Amino acid sequence: MAGDEHDPDGERPPRIQLTVWSVIALAVVAVAGLFTVRLEHQPETTRDYPPRPLIADGKLALLPGPEIDDEYLPCSDCHGDPERETGPVPRELEDEHDEMELAHGDLWCLHCHDSENPNRLRLADASLVAFEDSWQLCVQCHGKKLPEWRAGVHGKVTGSWRGDREYLTCVACHEPHSPATEPLEPMPRPRRPDEIALRAERSQEK
Amino acid sequence: MGIFKDRKERRTGAPGEKCGSTRRDFLRTAATVSAGAAIGAPAVASALEFDFEAFLQKNFRELSDAELKDVLARLERKYSEKYGKPVSVGAIGPMDGVLFGYGLDISRCIGCRRCVYACVEENNLSRDPEIHWIRVLEFERSAALREINLEDGNPYYEYSEVPAADKFYLPVSCQHCEDSPCSTVCPTGATWREPDGIVVIDYDWCIGCRYCMASCPYGARHFNWGEPNLPAEQVNPNMHMLGNTPRKKGVVEKCTFCIQRVRNGRLPACHEACPVGARKFGNLLDPNSEIRYVMDRKRTFVLKAELATHPKFFYFWGTEGRD
Amino acid sequence: MENLKLFAQFTRGSLIAVARGGKPYYAWLLGLGVLIGLGLVAYGDQLSRGLITTNMRDQVSWGFYIGNFAFLVGVAAAAVVLVVPAYVYNWGPIREVALVGELLSVAAIVMCMLFVTVDVGRPELLWHLLPIAGTPNFPHSLLTWDILVLNVYFLINWFVVTYILFMAFTGRKYNPRIVLPIIFLSIPFAVGIHTVTAFLFTGLKSRPFWHTALLAPRFIASAFCSGPALIFLIFRVLRKVGGMKIADAALFKIGELLAYAMALNLFFVGTEVFTDFYAQTSHSIHARFQWFGIHGESSIAAYTWSALGFNVVALIIFIVPYFRRKLNLLTLGCALSFFGIFIEKGMGLLLPGFTPDVLGEIYEYAPSANEVLVGIGIWAVGALLFTLMVRVAIAITQGKLRVARA
Repeated sequence: MAGDEHDPDGERPPRIQLTVWSVIALAVVAVAGLFTVRLEHQPETTRDYPPRPLIADGKLALLPGPEIDDEYLPCSDCHGDPERETGPVPRELEDEHDEMELAHGDLWCLHCHDSENPNRLRLADASLVAFEDSWQLCVQCHGKKLPEWRAGVHGKVTGSWRGDREYLTCVACHEPHSPATEPLEPMPRPRRPDEIALRAERSQEK
Repeated sequence: MGIFKDRKERRTGAPGEKCGSTRRDFLRTAATVSAGAAIGAPAVASALEFDFEAFLQKNFRELSDAELKDVLARLERKYSEKYGKPVSVGAIGPMDGVLFGYGLDISRCIGCRRCVYACVEENNLSRDPEIHWIRVLEFERSAALREINLEDGNPYYEYSEVPAADKFYLPVSCQHCEDSPCSTVCPTGATWREPDGIVVIDYDWCIGCRYCMASCPYGARHFNWGEPNLPAEQVNPNMHMLGNTPRKKGVVEKCTFCIQRVRNGRLPACHEACPVGARKFGNLLDPNSEIRYVMDRKRTFVLKAELATHPKFFYFWGTEGRD
Repeated sequence: MENLKLFAQFTRGSLIAVARGGKPYYAWLLGLGVLIGLGLVAYGDQLSRGLITTNMRDQVSWGFYIGNFAFLVGVAAAAVVLVVPAYVYNWGPIREVALVGELLSVAAIVMCMLFVTVDVGRPELLWHLLPIAGTPNFPHSLLTWDILVLNVYFLINWFVVTYILFMAFTGRKYNPRIVLPIIFLSIPFAVGIHTVTAFLFTGLKSRPFWHTALLAPRFIASAFCSGPALIFLIFRVLRKVGGMKIADAALFKIGELLAYAMALNLFFVGTEVFTDFYAQTSHSIHARFQWFGIHGESSIAAYTWSALGFNVVALIIFIVPYFRRKLNLLTLGCALSFFGIFIEKGMGLLLPGFTPDVLGEIYEYAPSANEVLVGIGIWAVGALLFTLMVRVAIAITQGKLRVARA
């Protein structure tokens, strides 16, 4: 304050004011400093870690598809009988296999099945594959899906995100005669916020 | 159980750095010991079922190896006793060279919610009051000739069969943002991002202020408004301290990418439960992973990109349509 | 030390001063006690069953408690509005009563701390926020800043008040060289506490309703509308029942200050309305909810328009000199201003921020009975604390409470 007897010109702030200000400033700095935590708050991003192919030593195993119903197997029991003629013309089946829904685009039985070798499927180059390898048939037309399926993007891969992995074959999800995935019954909806109360309260409300 | 298998990598922060100095430890010990002494006779406390050790437990990131071992042992005892079956609680650390990413194929999701309930079972979520870490939003494809807005999403759909006609589905859970708003605002440092990208919560350190919930743009964090109810027969006994240990009332919880699974090389429960293979998971730093395949070839987008949170949950279209 | 003995006498004398009073005084204390008791019972229920006793849920995770907290930080900050003219401009009529403003600050900060305490899910772990024992996430988390500045502000005000009263009690004059630096410090701190509290909300990019640079200035402006209004109302009561002498000039000055503050506040409201409604974005839905409701959920709209009505009428009373000079009309204006800002800054700030939530869901939140009881209990604690402190202050400043001379 100006006019102080120790400081007649009022230029230098009196000592007590300086003291009080310094104490306050020190206290604020000290408390703020104490508050600073030395935990790693946001760790450095790991993007500069060199990528290592962690699944290099993992195996890719194709899981066998679902088992075919016994009543259909082996196909040669009925279709191996030389007296039974296979009709080459696409038609609606009435005697047998009429319970089976066929909804696979414009395909009909003999597009995939071989009348001479009923226990096998026939590829476009006339070579035969077993039912377990049916995926080879699928990728002939759905070729775009093959690399995606192998990479795990199409379809389902289980096991591990690194290391050994198992793939599901096409027919595990797509029934080959009507391949569109079936709708499922959804599981229950979540509770709304106004439905969330302790059980005791809810039973009292009832 | 090899809880110390990858222990040397447990520390967040640069390798070789110690968290905290011995002097701070001394001061803290002095402070907590005097605090403990000041609280009162342990006999009274135990009569009131007051667990001193639990009360004074430090922030996970400050626990030394020995202390962590003690904490895990205590938690195992506590939960084994509570649920009547042997429970293992681990604290396996992050792996080097791993940054987890998640892919969600919205051309495939049919909204069946099997992922939601698989998560509930795997992660010991409260059944009543109900908590779901995953929320499946239903959108209309044509949306009345308008753009589709996140606000138009409906999580409460009920049908006998899904997918419903003309709808598509978008499951939302924690995005494990690279720049997560939640870990920035947490006042006690109870939530943070681990080096492998998972944003974790120390359930015993959280004070339940819910600032993180206000800051999360995705509604991914959930609060235990009441005492959680978890039937003993449904408890998943394979736990990670930062993952699926049962919570108590008053703390925040959220998806942890099934930390107890993925750090052991397994896939998250939601991924395994999905019946149509809509979920993809892997190491973003591994060019051979399925998630990198998606990111390199598909058009991926993230939710609320304008907020620059840099989420690690990438939505994409696996196919052009339902074919 | 001599001073310690005197301080002991001061404490004893204060306790005696608050224990003596007439019937209205005891009735007031009893009423507050009842409210506090009810609040404690409600809080006990909340402690045992969890925050499920409130109506807050994931979609609206902050509500009544934090709304009150934000409002009360403003009240605490605005005490400084009186301090500035009293000490900086050395204006006599306000100077005698600036002390009451500081006491209100102290009571308001205590209420703020209580509101935060009742809002957290695990209050027994609040020590996690302290340095050394806990791990505060400073400087990243705004909440840690808020705790720091609120406590410092509390200590500043409490120290100044205690020191001045203690010196008066012993018949000495306070040393301005101790008091003035601290008071000068309290001015930026007052703006600071409220800015930090505003930044709590502004810093959330997930909530576009709050993520605006204008929120901090709005907080300051509305604080200056509510704090001095409350002080004015308190002064009228103290003049009547507390036997305190307050010059009319002081009261009218407050009215003048309120005119500026309310005009600025309404200007800010106007700028927000323009920004939200003129060029609408998807974020404007929060303002639409606030003013008009959405899909039939419109209870908040009624409150918003009421608050606007209160504030506009208050502004007219403050600005027109003829109205401002009528003490009873000015009292009405202050009451309107106080409640208008309470609505605008309490629930009127919190609810539209959370509705619709980040995924577009609308949960219509209104506080539960438990929440309201706890809230009223906390206000009663603040009122009680203020009553007791003011009683001591009046007794000392009127010379009735003095150190016993040997």
